[in-house]
Amino acid sequence: RDMGRLFLISLEGSTYSCKHCQTQLALLDDIVSKSFHCRHGKAYLFEKVVNVNVGEEEERMMITGMHTVADIFCVGCGSIVGWKYESAHEKCQKYKEGKFILERFKVLGPDGSAYWVGRDPQVGSDADDA
Amino acid sequence: MGGVENSEPPLKRVKVPSGDLKNLVDEASHIVPISSSLGDSMARPPCSQGVEETVGMKGVIKKQEFVKIITRALYSLGYVRTGALLEEESGIPLHSTAVALLLDQVRGEKWEESLVTLHKIGLSDEIMVKRASFLLLEQKFFDLLKEENLMAALDTLRNEIVPLSVDVGRVRELASCIICPSQCMALRISSQDGTDANSRSRFKEKLEKLLPAAVMIPERRLEHLVEQALDVQRDACVFHNTLDSEFSLYVDHQCGRNQIPSHTLQILQAHKDEVWFLQFSHNGKYLASASKDHITVVWEVKESDLVLLKHTLTGHQNPVLTITWSPDDSQLLTCGVEEVVRRWDVNTGECLHVYEKAGVGLISCGWFPDGKGIVCGMKDKSICLWDLDGRELECWKGQRTLNISDMAITDDGKRIISICRENAILLLDREAKFERLIEEEQVITSFSLSEDNKFLLVNLMNQELHLWSIEGDIKVVAHYRGHRRTRFLIRSCFGGFEQAFIASGSEDSQVYIWHRDTGKLLLTLPGHSGAVNCVSWNPMDPRMLASASDDRTIRIWGLDGLKRKGHYSNGNGIT
Repeated sequence: RDMGRLFLISLEGSTYSCKHCQTQLALLDDIVSKSFHCRHGKAYLFEKVVNVNVGEEEERMMITGMHTVADIFCVGCGSIVGWKYESAHEKCQKYKEGKFILERFKVLGPDGSAYWVGRDPQVGSDADDA
Repeated sequence: MGGVENSEPPLKRVKVPSGDLKNLVDEASHIVPISSSLGDSMARPPCSQGVEETVGMKGVIKKQEFVKIITRALYSLGYVRTGALLEEESGIPLHSTAVALLLDQVRGEKWEESLVTLHKIGLSDEIMVKRASFLLLEQKFFDLLKEENLMAALDTLRNEIVPLSVDVGRVRELASCIICPSQCMALRISSQDGTDANSRSRFKEKLEKLLPAAVMIPERRLEHLVEQALDVQRDACVFHNTLDSEFSLYVDHQCGRNQIPSHTLQILQAHKDEVWFLQFSHNGKYLASASKDHITVVWEVKESDLVLLKHTLTGHQNPVLTITWSPDDSQLLTCGVEEVVRRWDVNTGECLHVYEKAGVGLISCGWFPDGKGIVCGMKDKSICLWDLDGRELECWKGQRTLNISDMAITDDGKRIISICRENAILLLDREAKFERLIEEEQVITSFSLSEDNKFLLVNLMNQELHLWSIEGDIKVVAHYRGHRRTRFLIRSCFGGFEQAFIASGSEDSQVYIWHRDTGKLLLTLPGHSGAVNCVSWNPMDPRMLASASDDRTIRIWGLDGLKRKGHYSNGNGIT
């Protein structure tokens, strides 16, 4: 675990962290919605996420329509933990722009709990037609 | 300006293409024979046949002005005959007839006449004429007093000086001279430097400064212009990295890129894991490196620029994150990650003291400029000041510093600098007890303080370096880009002659060097096989740069082709 030389932002409070290397990723308080889905089950929409690298942008068809997204990778171990919404094509989806999705399966909850795939039947990624 | 020659027609401004002009001059020079004795040759008519001649390729240098400042320079150099000859041959007198007469009369102390001549020069600025008159009359006044002709002096004061209505304060002083002549001596001495000769030349200086430059032609004007040009050349030379480069007037000054360290001279292998930090001592004689392997190595820089291992400092239980040299370079502080701070003797290599705080890990350290105290950043975000024996002297609680934070103290001991928030750096003024913040839009990862303490180089998460001025107006003055930083703590530094360069490590395994003033990326140095975490430029040798890398090695960079005493060491540099 490179805690010293790896440059990490530390969060105070209840946090979600990377399942593999425990690097802090986001605050519980920054959850915007818990009603998202992905290939591995539940996904949460966060206002802000730290200690991730943002990958290349690409167009992806989601449950709610076409979006421009970029995958995000944990800075500590490089594993993919979710994606970032760069832009939404439909007006009612614009609220997602600049926000991040963390896949529940990829993170440990504030209580350190993991999440097992297979609980929810999922049809695709996205949702929450707030 | 108002400097019109007294009886010549005003010059009409007509631009002549420089080609034609050259022909004009060439033809003319064939016609008039060059004579070497004064007063003999036919003076060429002033080249004012309604044309304002220029010299040079761009047509911005007026020939008259050019010749006049050369004439002035010749006189300054003592070449009186040549100066006079130039005036003759070019037909361009240094001063107009009236001005020449004035200077002559001043030299001859003929004040009445000089006053008359002054008005004949044709200056349009009335106040200036009055001030000049005042100076001349003042001299007349003093002379009269010297001759003890009090009545005449008083008359001059009342009827000639006062009506000018300038410099009223001085008038009062002069009046007091009449009443108290001994006072006058004091006045004269204090205002005009002692002896008569000195006071005369000072008066002439004042007169010259008062009248317009175009009329008087300032002394040393040509020298000043040349020095300006050299300054411009020097500033434009981005590779300028040495004090002893000579400026020749024959060729524009331009250093080659071989003035900046760019060749690997040595690869130092002593660490068993990633090297995270390194720094030269203030005197440039030592280099200290810190590694994930918990060890700090002290290297010695020999006369021949060879770097040899001196001590291996063991004791930390965690990776060593940072090192600071004492102001006199006799001791070192090292900080283990969230652990303790250790103080070492550079000469013997022994650990002199361990600083710790119960229950709180230390994350950064710095020396106090007087060498009698140390400052440490703590995991609980506070900053503590300790004396050398470990007694706490002061503690700033609250959010002063972050998990991974650099710490710096200005040389006057007044300011403590640390990253206090994700995107803000704290400038804590100890005496005034106030704080200022540098705020960025991006997350700050590390910073470096310039030698003169006036600038802060800030590394940002988005791979940019910002140069902040922290004296007076706090603001960003430059940006540097090009290196890579996505995951790690990468450090940068100032360096080179007069700290004219910025160097940085990078995740692409190269060292990056920019020109500080222009922000231009000058060099990228490949060589390391892992991310370069830290760089340090030898403060006493602008030709030596050191870099620390994840590949467990340190590289010493220098100039190409520099002969060493037969050493190109690939080993660990142990003697």
